[in-house]
Amino acid sequence: MLAQVIKAYNEAIFDTDRDRALAVVRQAVDSGVSPEDIIFKVVIPAIELMIKSISENFDANLAQHFMTSQIAAEVTEQMIPRFKKSPEIVGRVVIGNASGDFHGLGKRIVIGCLKALMIDVTDLGLNVPPERFVDEAIAHNAEVIGISSMMVHTARGENGCLKVRQILKERNLEDTIKIAVGGAPYRFDHELYKIVQADAWAENGITAGKVITDLIREVRK
Amino acid sequence: MDRLVAAINGKTSDRIPVFCNLLDQGAKELGVSLKEYYLNGEHVAEAQLRMREKYGYDNVWSLFYVGKEAEVLGCGKIAFANDGPPNVEDFVIKTYDDIEKLQVPDDISGHPAFQEPLKCLRILKREVGGKYPICAYITASMTLPAILMGMDRWMELLLIGPADVRDALLTKCSDFFRKEITAYRNAGADVLVYSNPFGSTDFISMKLFKELSLPWMERDLKPVGSQGVVYYCGSARFNNVIEQVIERLGISVFYLSPMDDIAEGKKIIAGRGLCCGVINDIKLIDWSKEDIRNEVRRMIDQGMPGGRFLFGTLVMPYAIPEENIRAMLEAAYEFGRYEKAE
Repeated sequence: MLAQVIKAYNEAIFDTDRDRALAVVRQAVDSGVSPEDIIFKVVIPAIELMIKSISENFDANLAQHFMTSQIAAEVTEQMIPRFKKSPEIVGRVVIGNASGDFHGLGKRIVIGCLKALMIDVTDLGLNVPPERFVDEAIAHNAEVIGISSMMVHTARGENGCLKVRQILKERNLEDTIKIAVGGAPYRFDHELYKIVQADAWAENGITAGKVITDLIREVRK
Repeated sequence: MDRLVAAINGKTSDRIPVFCNLLDQGAKELGVSLKEYYLNGEHVAEAQLRMREKYGYDNVWSLFYVGKEAEVLGCGKIAFANDGPPNVEDFVIKTYDDIEKLQVPDDISGHPAFQEPLKCLRILKREVGGKYPICAYITASMTLPAILMGMDRWMELLLIGPADVRDALLTKCSDFFRKEITAYRNAGADVLVYSNPFGSTDFISMKLFKELSLPWMERDLKPVGSQGVVYYCGSARFNNVIEQVIERLGISVFYLSPMDDIAEGKKIIAGRGLCCGVINDIKLIDWSKEDIRNEVRRMIDQGMPGGRFLFGTLVMPYAIPEENIRAMLEAAYEFGRYEKAE
């Protein structure tokens, strides 16, 4: 039964068919599959499968990334209230677009994935000043700051990641708060994350789930 | 212009055409802020002419910034930066109701937001018309909604929103495209860069490309024709759709992604058009001169055999040092000489 659900859900995700994916989940729950199994055995493995596919050069497109994350977030939102006990939060993240950047798609994909991975995520929005990234990370007890930049000048600029790093250093927070970056400039220059002094980068919104989970583990070690 | 015409016709000239897309650098050239620069069409024209003269490449641009199109459609807030291109700060479409209210101007040439680009074009035409290709940037109907409502909300409407609302928006964007391309042609633009990341399967599936992108591109181009139109998907790859683009749209100039395999692209085009190999210009910020030279040589070695090849850049980031721009161009001029290849 569960194997059939997993197969049908994965097919719907890869076809970017939200209605079919939600119908698969609905029917599975009606047939007795637990909400916990829906999340941990169907939704999260689907994200992991897409990460694996991407790493094996499968040409997943942006629409698939977007739909995978949006459906995952939607199903997670529906299932969590039905859990027998509240799920354990894996970690906390604040995420936003760098100062001067108004391109929210990548951030939205990341947020959807993080929610499904049981990571508590706070969306700081677009055009976020560096000080606010740090202040909000402290306020939310976040292990990771996620900074999205679609443009070269917002990735490399003095009010982007470089400034966030400087503030973390000044406040002696570098061991407790890590920085993950992503967006087009990083895809075109894989060493750029080092230049802007981030701890890690993700090639796309789906892979960001794993990159951020790894950083959370590093902080909690 | 001779170099470009020769390349399009499969003939040789002294060297391959080289397109270098310097936009924001114009402000530095004139010693003014980016905001001051882009508010005046005379500034943009003067800087385009100066930079072409200074570096010796083969094109000039009438493009200010991508958000100009949103301004013509009602956007009133553009965020200017000190070190990069301006951005749309306030989206025209905030709710689906705004789509119904969206007005496509009857006469784009008479629209206040189009006056500075027109002023720029008039100067370029007067100074270098017929001598160097004058480029214009026009966003396809499938992509224009991204700067009107934000990429994430457009993706949502496109993939899971009501089809009638999506089609109403696309119809308006396609009508706008037809008027805009006509306005640019009338004002003297020769090279019309048709920008459509949604024309790449990096963005959407092949199924959606066939069911949506292709028909909407046909609608954009059918009444206005593909003369001078360049297929361009931003930085997204598109080798795998070239065949369909030639067959269905009649476009014969392809401005590849830096991630596309140039040799493969040329093989698919198979002499039916011009292939533009595009350098990953983000790397020009940090590459050494030797790195730059090696990369330019690699690209030209792949693209030049058989002719019908152009060397190009994306929108060059403001942070690229001038000496690296020169290193790239000098390598392109050197390795792109025809007598060397033959």
